[in-house]
Amino acid sequence: MPVSWRRTLQSNWFHVLVLLFLVMFPHLVGWITGDSPLGVGGRPRGQSVFWQLIFIELFIFAILAMSYNLMFGFTGVISFGHALFFGMGGYILGLVLEKTGAASEVGLAAGVIIGIVVCGVLGLIIGVVSLRLRGVYFAIFTLAVAEMFAIYIGRWPVTNAEDGFVLSNLPAFLNPARDRLTYYYLVLILMIFTFLFIRRLINSPTGSVLLAIRENESRAQSIGYNTLIFKLLSITLAGMIAAGAGMLQVILTKKVGPEILTVSFTVDPLLMTIIGGVGTFSGPVIGASVLHLSERIFNREFIIGSMSINIGQNWSLILGIAFILVVMVFPQGIVGTWAKWRAGKKTTLE
Amino acid sequence: MSGAVFEPPLRNPKDIFISDQDCRSFMTNVILQARNLRKEFGGLVAVDDVSLDVAPGTVHSIIGPNGAGKTTLFNLLTGQYKPTRGQVFFKGQDITHVALHRRAHLGMGRSFQITNIFPNLTVLENVRLAAQALNRSQFNFFRRADSFKDLVTRAYEVIELVGLRELALSPATVLPHGGKRKLELAILLVADPELLLLDEPTAGMASEQVPELIKTIDTIRQKGNKTVILVEHNMNVVMNISHRITVMNLGKLLAEGSPAEISADKTVQNVYLGGLYGDAIEGTRHE
Repeated sequence: MPVSWRRTLQSNWFHVLVLLFLVMFPHLVGWITGDSPLGVGGRPRGQSVFWQLIFIELFIFAILAMSYNLMFGFTGVISFGHALFFGMGGYILGLVLEKTGAASEVGLAAGVIIGIVVCGVLGLIIGVVSLRLRGVYFAIFTLAVAEMFAIYIGRWPVTNAEDGFVLSNLPAFLNPARDRLTYYYLVLILMIFTFLFIRRLINSPTGSVLLAIRENESRAQSIGYNTLIFKLLSITLAGMIAAGAGMLQVILTKKVGPEILTVSFTVDPLLMTIIGGVGTFSGPVIGASVLHLSERIFNREFIIGSMSINIGQNWSLILGIAFILVVMVFPQGIVGTWAKWRAGKKTTLE
Repeated sequence: MSGAVFEPPLRNPKDIFISDQDCRSFMTNVILQARNLRKEFGGLVAVDDVSLDVAPGTVHSIIGPNGAGKTTLFNLLTGQYKPTRGQVFFKGQDITHVALHRRAHLGMGRSFQITNIFPNLTVLENVRLAAQALNRSQFNFFRRADSFKDLVTRAYEVIELVGLRELALSPATVLPHGGKRKLELAILLVADPELLLLDEPTAGMASEQVPELIKTIDTIRQKGNKTVILVEHNMNVVMNISHRITVMNLGKLLAEGSPAEISADKTVQNVYLGGLYGDAIEGTRHE
């Protein structure tokens, strides 16, 4: 094995282990529970298929949170309108597939490309109009724009207003209700691709400028960077990735409705990013895992003796308390705190 | 400088009168020129009709008591503020409305009164970013930033020059105050600007460190044949290294001349000795 490969493997051993686990995961669950990862009795049932769904949702959230982190954690731009890109990605794919009468494969390809391009342009327009605003003003502006779209599309007759519409024109190979394992691997690959893309971007010269803007925008300007261009690049890329996540979401649920434009698809990635670690590569993925898995595990009735506690009903309350604790005790999130602890240990050893 | 003859547009009848001194500065090719600058904040006139010629290769200091408008003037020259009236020329080009980041590309570098660095990035990254700003590589997002060896080498050279070699890989935030001022200087120098605009570079420094910094600034100017514009509160600091001094008071230009002329000037003495800031001139009397 060449030296450079070995070095890459050595510095990424944790990522490689996680990747191996995720690749094996459906089979592991199948092996433990005895339910085949392909389903039971020719139908998509059983523990393995159930857990695949949870992990697909997790991967989609991770992609969304990573795109949010690109803007928020690496460029220092706080947006409250990220759901706009997520939802518009889903809507545009749905519209192209269902309303144009295109063949399913053509419709899928066209919908993905048009959706990503439109969301990029949307990000660019929002950025040009509002990026001169700073901090909280920009955040409020993005929230207003996103809510405007959500309200309008929630009443738009073409997309059946609040009811939304069903995706029935998907290609046969892309049917998570029948063949979930294929979709599991597809979303996993896209998540890894997003992770590698963002890591490469941030380690590049362009990425170093994004970090500089996060640290001190006026200084970045005075040493000669046109910071507006770089902020636009960041918000546009983040919007395009979020659009991709929205498309994966509507393919998974096979339904497009105004709920994918609601503010919860801004708040969730924000919480995931903060809990996982703002401005770290794996933070959003870990935040998405912790939040989504704990919601799935605890969001049910617990029966202790004669007492039954329904945590699910109070899930938002628990989430709120957990969030306050993280912000107050570990403001750098799980990954940031871990990295700091390790760095501290290293320096005391020396 | 291609020897382009520069003529400022005539704005008001006052400009038709050109003194001997003005003629001299036209001939010696002015690097930075301010023409009738005025800046109002609401009803307050912070800078009132100030004109300034800075000759290349010199140290030109702007001094004055607190509230004299020095920092406002500085911000007008660097482009942080847009003037209410008047113009700024750099090497004959009207830069009054040129964006901040473009000025760095033209060859103007500025420092800040308060320490202004990238706190969570390493010292090396702070300096490397400044080197990269004037390079095409900033729009490359596929290669690793540290694979552009020439930028890294250049950054290390300057870090060595200001004496931060051992701390190059530490985050800038852990540096002591003096170290941060040195880093600030390195960020400025790595871009190799023709004109350095320094806003109270000695602010917050222990007084025994001040002569060392002043010496560094003068060495940099001589070696690189650079022009320095220095804004200072303390008159004592600028007396030894300045070629020309502009004194401001209450937003207006009070006097301009060589250090000897300025220290002999009666009105300047009145402003400094008569006001609250008598201490500012104290050092000069001992010399």
